[in-house]
Amino acid sequence: MRRKAGLVLLALAVFFAALSPLLRWYAFPRLAKIPANHYQHMVLEARDATLLDYATMRAKQVPKVTVVQTLKGNVEASERIEESAGRDVVVWDGLSYVVGPDGRMVSKIPERYIFDAHTQQPVHATGEMVDGDPVRREGIEFKWPFLTEKRDYAYFDAQARVTAPIHYKGTRDFRGLEVYYFEQTIPWTKVPIPRTLPVEGLSAEAVEKTGTTRWYTTVRKFWVEPLTGAPVYGEEIHREELRGGTLLGDRDRVTAFAGHVKMREDYTAHTVDLVTSQRLPILLLTSWLPWGSLALGLLLLALALYLEARARRRPGSAATKAEDPSPVTA
Amino acid sequence: MRALIAAAVGLAAAFALVLTVTALARPSGGTSPEPLLTTVPAHP
Repeated sequence: MRRKAGLVLLALAVFFAALSPLLRWYAFPRLAKIPANHYQHMVLEARDATLLDYATMRAKQVPKVTVVQTLKGNVEASERIEESAGRDVVVWDGLSYVVGPDGRMVSKIPERYIFDAHTQQPVHATGEMVDGDPVRREGIEFKWPFLTEKRDYAYFDAQARVTAPIHYKGTRDFRGLEVYYFEQTIPWTKVPIPRTLPVEGLSAEAVEKTGTTRWYTTVRKFWVEPLTGAPVYGEEIHREELRGGTLLGDRDRVTAFAGHVKMREDYTAHTVDLVTSQRLPILLLTSWLPWGSLALGLLLLALALYLEARARRRPGSAATKAEDPSPVTA
Repeated sequence: MRALIAAAVGLAAAFALVLTVTALARPSGGTSPEPLLTTVPAHP
């Protein structure tokens, strides 16, 4: 009986010991994925910003400019791409909609971002675009991979349509969460004029014909929770200028937008709560279950060995009985 | 010999469990009916 118990314990010990690396290195990379139907919106605000008044073509101070950013997982498009890509793909249709202090649209830039649901690596397929222009992204955008590392990443800038390093600048505490702080600087770069402008009848082509060009620079800051790879807070020191051309008259440049854009407080609190809850399943699969399973496996193995040793030593045990010759009586 | 079989059973059970769990793909559902926002939402 004791031998049978020892064998059961040994089987359980091997089960739990094997489960540990299998969970961490096989199950986690396959189970951790961004759902294809993910939907989220985010509001960012720039207080006391500078904004171009298209009626006068002069920059003016405004109390607030609001950026509404929506990301919507397109399940049908992701399934189509998955058939040819042969891996789990997420397609995010995004819209950055900028609203002035009067509630009117300042700009709207749609984009489509296609990436691997597990690794966050970009996937290139027809339809990948920013503001209708086909692009070929390298690096990440919006979100970091699961288990973010303390290193620089390549980050895609949708305005400039370029990928540039976003630098890891240290580990911080953000409202009780340990986060990695990243920062990217895009120097003054000539960027396309948005297809939708706030003045009716004024098109990007018409502006381009005047010889006026749009330039942009930004310092992008992200506080990223490393287990989920989700930014819990973001800021951008953003400047845009129109330069040259007949549209500006005798001026060589005019500020189109300048402001320190920050996540709105209610969205920050909501994101921190959301990410805090999303950390748990990742912690389970990467830490608690593997380590717990390994410890349990070792404990059960020790118990199995102990039972086996006792069974061998005990004179009355089944093993001893089998080996002892029966006394012969006359 | 019996110990080896017990260990093999434990190992096979671990593989079976993990392979089953990872093979059970969660349905992702359909695309959200929510729109791409063009107004400022009052709350998250």
